[in-house]
Amino acid sequence: MSATVAVGRARHVNVWSVIARTFLYSFLICLGVVVIYPLIWMALSGFKDNAQIFGDPFALPVHWAWNNYVQAWNQGVRGYVTVSVLVTVASAICTVLISAWTAFGLTRTKMPAKPLVVAIVLGGLMLSPTVAIIPLVKMLQALGLYNTYWALIILYTAFRVPFTTFLIRAYMLDLPGDLDEAATMDGASEGQIFWRITLPLCRPIIISCVILHVLFAWNEYLFAMIFTSGSDVQTLPVGLTSIMATHGTNYAVVFAAMTISALPIVIVFFAAQRYFIRGLSEGIGK
Amino acid sequence: MADLTLRQIRKSYGSVDILHGIDLDIKSGEFIVFVGPSGCGKSTLLRSIAGLEEITSGDLCIDDEVVNDVPPSKRGIAMVFQSYALYPHMTVYENMAFGMRIAKVSKAEIDKRVRQAAEILQLTKYLDRLPKAMSGGQRQRVAIGRAIVRNPKVFLFDEPLSNLDAALRVATRIEIAKLKESMPNTTMIYVTHDQVEAMTLADRIVVLKDGHIEQVGTPMDLYKKPGNLFVAQFIGSPAMNIVPARIETAGEVTAISHIGANKVTVPLATPASANGTEISLGVRPEDLFIAAGADYLFEGTVDYVEQLGEVQLVYVDIGQADLPLVTKLPGNVEVKRSATVRLNANPGDLHIFGTDGCSVLQPQSAHGQTGPRL
Ligand SMILES: Nc1ncnc2c1ncn2[C@@H]1O[C@H](COP(=O)(O)OP(=O)(O)OP(=O)(O)O)[C@@H](O)[C@H]1O
Ligand SMILES: [Mg+2]
Repeated sequence: MSATVAVGRARHVNVWSVIARTFLYSFLICLGVVVIYPLIWMALSGFKDNAQIFGDPFALPVHWAWNNYVQAWNQGVRGYVTVSVLVTVASAICTVLISAWTAFGLTRTKMPAKPLVVAIVLGGLMLSPTVAIIPLVKMLQALGLYNTYWALIILYTAFRVPFTTFLIRAYMLDLPGDLDEAATMDGASEGQIFWRITLPLCRPIIISCVILHVLFAWNEYLFAMIFTSGSDVQTLPVGLTSIMATHGTNYAVVFAAMTISALPIVIVFFAAQRYFIRGLSEGIGK
Repeated sequence: MADLTLRQIRKSYGSVDILHGIDLDIKSGEFIVFVGPSGCGKSTLLRSIAGLEEITSGDLCIDDEVVNDVPPSKRGIAMVFQSYALYPHMTVYENMAFGMRIAKVSKAEIDKRVRQAAEILQLTKYLDRLPKAMSGGQRQRVAIGRAIVRNPKVFLFDEPLSNLDAALRVATRIEIAKLKESMPNTTMIYVTHDQVEAMTLADRIVVLKDGHIEQVGTPMDLYKKPGNLFVAQFIGSPAMNIVPARIETAGEVTAISHIGANKVTVPLATPASANGTEISLGVRPEDLFIAAGADYLFEGTVDYVEQLGEVQLVYVDIGQADLPLVTKLPGNVEVKRSATVRLNANPGDLHIFGTDGCSVLQPQSAHGQTGPRL
């Protein structure tokens, strides 16, 4: 009799786990559709004309009008992409190197008052960018950096260093310290230990940090809007709004421009996804 | 070639004193082993010699030159870490070449030295591998190789074998002994928990306890003439039996009585003032045997027997609470539990320790040596 009960219970569990799994999968699929479909819709709409966009918004385009993309590219998007790439790459390199060096100091050296320094650096996480805008405008104007790439590169770096340091520091804390000691015995200086031992070993978290920074810098709007005004120094998010202003009625071109601006980030993310997940989970997941 | 001199080395972390004034002279080419219980400061002392820890006071001299403030890499010292500390992102070759690359040695010279070391350590096949694709024993050899290529004057090992399994430990121990033979001028300092490693490898053993040196001497010295109770119980396995006793008649030979048995006379001179002093009588398990005649040292009942094949460990209850007398008898002697046995030992194998734990010297060698301390 107990046997039948056991079998019954096993079937019971089985049914529930199947239901739970089905539920989970359908939930994830729905979530995926909600996230991905608008992107696909936007890319497809870039191939249509206004009539089709309004008349038949969910159909596939009748003619694949590549011309919209070419037009968008030539009418400003090219410039915005260049600026965005420049600002993103430069600030990513600065942020990651400064953060890694800071994290190295915070985890590897016999610095006095270390907890205080950690608190100050991480305290930067609390600082809201909007609060600091007015002094920053004044400062950058005084420095003659207003309306240049440098303004954005410096601001993006400054505002992302605390978070990036926090991630890299967590990762470095888990790296065995005797590697440093072995390198010291081998005659390496602190700088050599950083460049040749610690940094290479931090590659997973460095890659994650680069991706996170790229995502941030590529999409950042507030600073970009406030600190740049000339169209030759504007990044994509700001540039897209001015495209909307000028091509307000030609939605296909606007969609094409948006698709172009989203594309690089999607590619970067998929190319580095493997490292991204690994770096984050190794750094803070343990 | 390097003589190493430690003068009153002290080390504290904040207010906690770890090393309390270590004095030690190490001659060039010696193999020195540090042993001691966990937490006694062996690693700290080794790391201080390496320069990885700054010493709080005292002088560390290499070849009569004070090196307290010389950075680790300039001391001519190489160290093998317990965890091996191989650079995981570098191949075996790069691991070994790293120090020389930093020192800007020429490519040809690096290649020559790495290949030479790889040859000695049978690593030639693995030069292009990453450490994670190697076994524990192979990693150990890479770590040693990385030290060898630097041509150090002093070699430091911090428990290098503790991550290996028993069989590999024995094999690697022998390899280290051979390595030492092939480098007669290199001084080696080796930290271990393992008595067998200490006894087999060392020219001299340094026994540490709570940041003090308890005794320094050749392995046989420490075994035969332990300077105090701690060393007596630390060296040798199973540990020496200690039985409380009392000096009955001091003089040219000393008569001692103790619980559980007869009065014994040991050939050791003691001053008359020692009459009636409480002492500890020490005897090693392997020095005890079943008494043949009426003469015996201890009588008791067999509490427990551990048969190891070649030998058996017999625990005899001689009336000492919770502390049976351990006896190492040949494996083929028949001993039954609860039987009464009488054990004897040669008077020359007995050790006497004063109440302060210091040795009153072993009987045979007592004459002509420093007088008894009671
Ligand atoms: N950085 C440190 N700060 C404070 N105390 C320390 C530090 N490093 C070691 N100690 C203390 O110093 C003492 C000696 O440590 P050490 O590592 O030298 O012991 P050991 O003899 O090597 O022990 P084991 O055999 O377990 O390796 C220990 O009590 C330890 O708690
Ligand atoms: Mg240790």
